Amino acid sequence: MASTIIGAGITIEGEISTDEDIVVAGTVRGKLTAKEAVTIEHGATVEADVQGSSLIVGGALTGNVTASERVDLQSGSRVIGNVKAARVTIADGAQFKGNVDMDV
Amino acid sequence: MTSSASNVTIIGKSTRVRGRVHGPGDLEVQGFVDGEIAVTGDVTIALHGMVGAGVKGRRLVVRGAVKGDLVGDEAILLEDGARVVGDVRAPRVSIGVGALVRGFVETGEGGAAPARAARPQAAVRPAHTPERTHAPERTHTPERVPALAAKAAPAKVVAPPARAAATNSHASASSGPRRPPPPVVPVLKGAKGQIAKKRER
Repeated sequence: MASTIIGAGITIEGEISTDEDIVVAGTVRGKLTAKEAVTIEHGATVEADVQGSSLIVGGALTGNVTASERVDLQSGSRVIGNVKAARVTIADGAQFKGNVDMDV
Repeated sequence: MTSSASNVTIIGKSTRVRGRVHGPGDLEVQGFVDGEIAVTGDVTIALHGMVGAGVKGRRLVVRGAVKGDLVGDEAILLEDGARVVGDVRAPRVSIGVGALVRGFVETGEGGAAPARAARPQAAVRPAHTPERTHAPERTHTPERVPALAAKAAPAKVVAPPARAAATNSHASASSGPRRPPPPVVPVLKGAKGQIAKKRER
């Protein structure tokens, strides 16, 4: 299972585009585009617009999110931005501010 | 949930990063990074990995393509499949069989942290004391480079030999601070006469 892992402490300032899964535990500033699942771990900071097939957010995300399948905001996450996906879950304990568009 | 105790970042094979990568921890590049890499841990550039700018780290292991300077605080290992266009600077450099390098290779104390260490070849300003103390150490550096090249005979290294010669001449004539050579002013024959004629007109 190939996946890209951005370790904790690492900062990437720029654009990331990938055809596989990506797990972010560090800091990403810019733009993140993935064709598969995107996981933002607890403690990660993402200041970017994120695109992916599915998105699981456990950390801090500032930016718009577009997912083709689903977006899950876990408890402890902090999301400021618009979310556009077919399925969205916001867990108890997640902090969220933005629009939710479920293609209705 | 975290992968391991050590902090490893893996840029996967189909991942393109266009921007700077920096921070603590180790890094493995299997994809494409078009930006400067500056980490405090080890950097591994895998066989299909490509980096389009400089790489800074503690220990660099290169098996892929790098178009930029490699600066290692500890060591740089270029293995089979490595294609490097750029300078290679570290206290210890290893160029293995099959590695391709085009650039300036510098080992020893002058290798690591070139911003701090003096570079007498490039310095044209009058040298102050730290550069003079480095001068006797520098004479050992060109001896080490041919020894490494002899060990890895098939490796193609284009290390400019002119710099080694310059180092030797500098070390031998090291009396007082190094000044830039006097400018060469061509003396024109009969110039004075021509100028006098112009003035008369």
